[in-house]
Parts: sequence; C-alpha cells; structure tokens
Amino acid sequence: MSGTCETIMASNQTLFSYVLRLADDHLILSQRLGEWCGEAPTLEEDLALANIALDLIGQARALYAYAGQVEGKGRNEDQLAFMRYERDYQNLLITEQPNGDFAHTIVRQFFISAYMDPFWRRMESSKDEMLAAIAAKASKEVTYHLRHTSEWVIRLGDGTRESHERMVEALDDLMMFTGELFEMDAVAQEMLQSGVGVDASDLKAEWQHTVQTILQEATLELPKAGHMQTGGRTGRHSEHLGHILSELQYMQRSFPGLTW
Amino acid sequence: MYSQGLIGADGQTHEDAAFLAAFQARIDAEQKIEPNDPMPEGYRKTLVRQISQHAHSEIIGMQPEGNWISRAPSLRRKAALLAKVQDEGGHGLYLYSAAETLGVSREEMTEQLLSGAAKYSSIFNYPALTWADIGAIGWLVDGAAIMNQIVLCRCSYGPYARAMIRICKEESFHQRQGYEIMIALCNGSKEQKELAQDALNRFWWPSLMMFGPPEGDSVHSNQSMIWKIKRFSNDDLRDKFINASVPQAEKLGLTIPDSDLKWNEAKQGYDHGEIDWDEFWRVVKGDGICNRERLKNRRRVDRDGAWVREAAMAHAQKRRARMASARIAAE
Amino acid sequence: MTRIPDKHAQHASQQSLQQAAWAAAAAVPDPEIPVVTIADLGILRSIALDEEGCIVAQVTPTYSGCPATNLIQQMVLEALHEAGFENVRVESVLSPAWTTDWISSEGRKKLRQFGIAPPTETSNSKRALFGETLVTCPHCGSGETERVSEFGSTPCKALYRCLACREPFDYFKCH
Ligand SMILES: [Fe+2]
Ligand SMILES: [Fe+2]
Ligand SMILES: [Fe+2]
Repeated sequence: MSGTCETIMASNQTLFSYVLRLADDHLILSQRLGEWCGEAPTLEEDLALANIALDLIGQARALYAYAGQVEGKGRNEDQLAFMRYERDYQNLLITEQPNGDFAHTIVRQFFISAYMDPFWRRMESSKDEMLAAIAAKASKEVTYHLRHTSEWVIRLGDGTRESHERMVEALDDLMMFTGELFEMDAVAQEMLQSGVGVDASDLKAEWQHTVQTILQEATLELPKAGHMQTGGRTGRHSEHLGHILSELQYMQRSFPGLTW
Repeated sequence: MYSQGLIGADGQTHEDAAFLAAFQARIDAEQKIEPNDPMPEGYRKTLVRQISQHAHSEIIGMQPEGNWISRAPSLRRKAALLAKVQDEGGHGLYLYSAAETLGVSREEMTEQLLSGAAKYSSIFNYPALTWADIGAIGWLVDGAAIMNQIVLCRCSYGPYARAMIRICKEESFHQRQGYEIMIALCNGSKEQKELAQDALNRFWWPSLMMFGPPEGDSVHSNQSMIWKIKRFSNDDLRDKFINASVPQAEKLGLTIPDSDLKWNEAKQGYDHGEIDWDEFWRVVKGDGICNRERLKNRRRVDRDGAWVREAAMAHAQKRRARMASARIAAE
Repeated sequence: MTRIPDKHAQHASQQSLQQAAWAAAAAVPDPEIPVVTIADLGILRSIALDEEGCIVAQVTPTYSGCPATNLIQQMVLEALHEAGFENVRVESVLSPAWTTDWISSEGRKKLRQFGIAPPTETSNSKRALFGETLVTCPHCGSGETERVSEFGSTPCKALYRCLACREPFDYFKCH
C-alpha cells in the first residue's frame, strides 16, 4: 500500500515540476516582451508584441494555477510566479535573453514559436486532461505567433543590407540556446512515459524544417550548431534572470502577503 | 481633455457666405458631416487638430502606464495592464485613421508630435510613481476622458463621433478596472490605503486640469460650439466629473485633496477650490517633470525603429517586383 | 404508478430552472463590446445543475490572456444571484477552445450595427504568410477595404479602412 502511495506522490512531484517549468518559460518570455511596450518600431507592431505577451501571460497563469493544484500545498498562481528565488526558476535560457534590437527579439520569438507550435499540438493529446485543455487553447495562439514572427524574419532578412546583417548577428547570438529546447531530463522522460508529456527530442526535425524553410525565404542561413548552452531546467541561469526577477518581484517582495 | 487640443486652434475660414450658411444649416439639423462632404477649411483644420491631439494623447499615455507592466503586483493585474496599454495604442491608431479621413497623413501627424508642434493632454506629463497611480489613472484619468468622449459621441463629424462611441466602451472598462485597483488598496493594509490616498492627492488636480481652462467668451471655442465639434464648456464637463468622482472617493474612504470642496444645494453639485492654472500653463508649455522625457522617448523609438520600417518597405517593393515579373513570365 | 409523473415533474422543473438560469446569464454583456452578450459571443458554454442542486455556469475565455475573463465570471455570478439563484458556481473551461464560429448570427448582426465588421463565417488558413482577408465595410457596405493593422485596440480585432467612404473600422478577426 505505502509503495503505491509513494509512486503517486513521486509522480505528482514530477508533474508539478513539469508544469511549473512550462509556466516559467511563458512568464519570463512575456515579461521580456512586455518591455517592448511603447518601444516597437511601428504602432502596429507595438500592438502585436503586446498581444503575444498577453497570450503568453494567459498561458502562464493557467499553468501556474494548475501547478499549484497539483502541488496541493495551497500555493496560488502569484505565490508560484513571484515568491521563489533565482535558482528555483526553471525556464529555458533563451526566454530570459535580453530583447536586444528588434532582430534579436524576432529571432528569439521565432525560435521559440517554431518549437512551441508542434509542442502544444502534441500536448493536446496528453493523458492529463488539464494539460490537454491548456494546449488546445495555446496551440491556436502559438500558430499565430509563428506566422507573425516568420513574416518578420522574411522581411528583415530580405529587406535591406542593414536589416540582413542585424538578423545574421541575432541568429548567431541565439543559436547556442536552441539545444536546450530538445533536452529530455528525468522529469521530461517520466512525463513522456506516463503519457502526460511531449517528447521534446522528437520535435527537433520539425523545428529545423520550419526554421530552415523560413530562413531560406529570408535569404538567411541557420548558423552551424556549436556548443549548446544548458542549465535553465536546473536553475543555472544567465545573469539576466536576476534582473528580470528584481522587477517582476518588486511589489510582492516589498509588501509581502498583501492582496492587490 | 481633447478640448486642450483646441487651444490656439485657428477656426478662421475663407468660404463665401452662402457655402457657410448651407454648411451651418446641415450642422443645425444635426446631420453628420462625412469625409466626402464639402466642409469649410476652418472646420477641417479644427478637427484635424483636435483628433490628432487626441491620438497623440493615447500614444504618449502609454508611457506612464507602460512603466508599471514589468512590476505589476499580480499576474491578473499584469495581464490587465498590458491589455489596457494595448487598448490605448489601438485607440491612437483608430484616431489617426479618423484624422486621415480629413486629408492629413499619419506621417505628418507623427512629425508634428515629434517636433513638439502638436500637443497632447497635459496629464501624461505627470509621473506614475507607485502602483496605486495605475489605479488612480484608470479611475480618474480614464474617467475624465470618458466625460469628454461621451459628449464627443455627438460631435458633428461622423467618423470621429462613431470612433468615440466604440472607444468610450473600452474606456469604461479601463475605468472600472482602475477603480477596482483602488478598492483592493482601500480594503487592504494601512500602507496600501496610504498609497491610494497619496495617488489621489497627486492625480486629483491634474485630472481637473484635463478639461482645460475656463473659456469665458473665447471666440475659438464658440466657433467649435457652433460647429458642434464641442458641445459643452470646459467648466460644465469638469463639474460633471467632480460630481461623479466625489461619491466614488467617499465609497473608497479616501479624502479629496480640496478643503474648499462643498456640496452646493442650489446648483445640485459641488463647488471646488481654486485650480492652479499657472501650473497648468507651465506643464502645457513644456515645463512639467516628464515633458522632455516623454517626447525624447518617442523620438528615440522613432529613430531606433527606422531600420525596421525601411527593411519592411524594401521587402514589400522586392516582393511586388518579383510578383510582377512572375506574372510577365507566366504570360 | 405515481413515481413516473413525479420524476417527469421533477425533470420539467429542473429544465425550467436551467432555462431561467440560462436566460439570466446569457444577458450579461461583454465588458468591452457591451452591444453583444456573452451568449451572442459563444462565451457562455452551458448551465447545468449538479447533484447538490448548485447552478454551474461554464464560460470559456476568448483567448488565454483576455483581461475581461475575471470580470465576466463575476458578472455571471451577480446576474444569477440577482435572478434569485443563491447556490451558484462559475467554471472556466478551456477545451474545446473558443472560436469565432461560435458567435451567433444575432451577435454578428449586432456587431455590424455597432460598426464592427463581424468575422467571416469560416476561418481562413492561418498558415498563409502575409495573408489578408476580404472584409466588408460595416458603415457603407463596400468591399473596397484595406487593413491598417493586424491588431486594433483589443487583440480580437484588426483595424481596417474603407476606401469608398473612408471610414476606419474594427474587424472582429477569425480565430
Ligand atoms: Fe484610450
Ligand atoms: Fe483608457
Ligand atoms: Fe465604407
């Protein structure tokens, strides 16, 4: 009896980690996109980036709420989103990379969307009902993110010499963070085996195909894959995350335990 | 607020008497003037000025609130604020398009904003210092905007009036959300309530100034009234706003920072203390704490984005050329 | 013998209860476009009675980050309370995901009258790059329109302009 019980506990803990890291990805990325507010190259793009950020924060909220439920310790979405320390955040490194110029933001979003698009589509058939439901909503939204960023990759790659050069630099800078997208650690493996999670390693071919098709139209090339950075899933981040958190958590840390 | 856009407006017009009389007859009959209709040059210019300054206000207004997106205290508030700022940008876009129906381009209007030739509402030159300011802005600034816009829904120029009807609904949603932030603060801890009171103290008077100075017998304003671009005096709208806001403040348990504020039984409305019009003119003329920063930000964003816009144009041209040659090849 | 009619009666009263609850919740206006109700938009999914006799209203967000979701839930709760239902719960359902196909023809008519072009009946392919949709001007009915921006003030709308009457207008996008 106690053995069965422990298995359930363990897999609950794994599910919690799995959902939480996905939530972290979306929160941190939306925090980054939110920094563009009022700063985009056109008013139309200002609205588009805000919209993508809104989608991501909406997805993050659903995921945090669910993570809190799975954990069963009464932590709500805000406690999970705001009240943890740097090393406890498990987002992918690429999501926390600075906005840089518009080319960097577009490439970052394009790389991630090209990954999340098939990810959410597969998650729709997860055995976990809640994750499947969140995926059904998110997969519609990320399809748009992928289309929007693809259009910009093509415009900027094909546009002027300057825009082309900026895109080359952005691709070079961000390439080393793409390996982490496809990693399968013990948590992801266990979730895959129980029919809850997605086999991220299996998304690589589709990702490469999507990215290369668009880059080709943009007269750009995917840089050679060199050493890939890793660590987000174990809380070993770049220096950027701490600064993101210092803004994100400012109110909750200054006034602990209040309702807003 | 948008009547601030009429400050210095040149309502002069050069058409002959018969044309003006016929136009006035349409206005008096409450017929809407549409883009393809003949209209006096002064009418057109006055509208361009007002609508574009309204649009600029929406765009500049994204800055004080955008300043709090990364620090919003909960995920729900963060999402709501992000959506609100997006709404304001959308309002700006909508209004630029409405002004374009009068034969002015968005590029021209943007140029006027960046050069400092065009103004925007004075309120956005005040800083959003604390989270409570986001509540106060939604409650009071969007509230004041609604007071103006409800009247503008009956403006004689069709596209502007219709734009106002739709935008007004969204502004009401903003105001509701802002007030809800204030409720949460006032039901919260002592320090939260102090934040709320402090925000009210700083935003009350600037909100009253949004309606513009008392007009007296100002000619320009009269011409706008006759053309039914404007339908109430600044003081009338300000009074309506005060009468609506005082009970809301009482419900929150907050004190309006005006010791002369008193209910006047005879006029069934509030009498208020002296507004510091020197401060108003100082801020309108560029000496508010944020004026320089707000404009510099817009100029920087415009500069930084130039290469993106050039690239988009270059790509569109190449695409057109490729499609054209593909068509020729097919024929 | 008496059990069957009783059961019928109970069933019938349950049904009328549900219908009354539906009517109350269905009338809740969308906070951002109050000319349409949440039933018109297809946001109100169902009204049911659970075993304890609690009215359960199911609503779905139009998109994940919709800022009106919380307010809509609260408004549904208030509307049901006002209609005399005390034991009430509002649930958010994510799946199946909301689509503009769920906007009723009544809702589409109201949107058009309000000056918002309703979504075209079937979703266009979102995979088409640089794809644009043909939209009719809600003001003059002309098909000669152009897109100004993929997003308007709210994410569900795009901004268009009529080339005939020059009216700028919102288009409720397919989704
Ligand atoms: Fe606005
Ligand atoms: Fe607003
Ligand atoms: Fe039209």
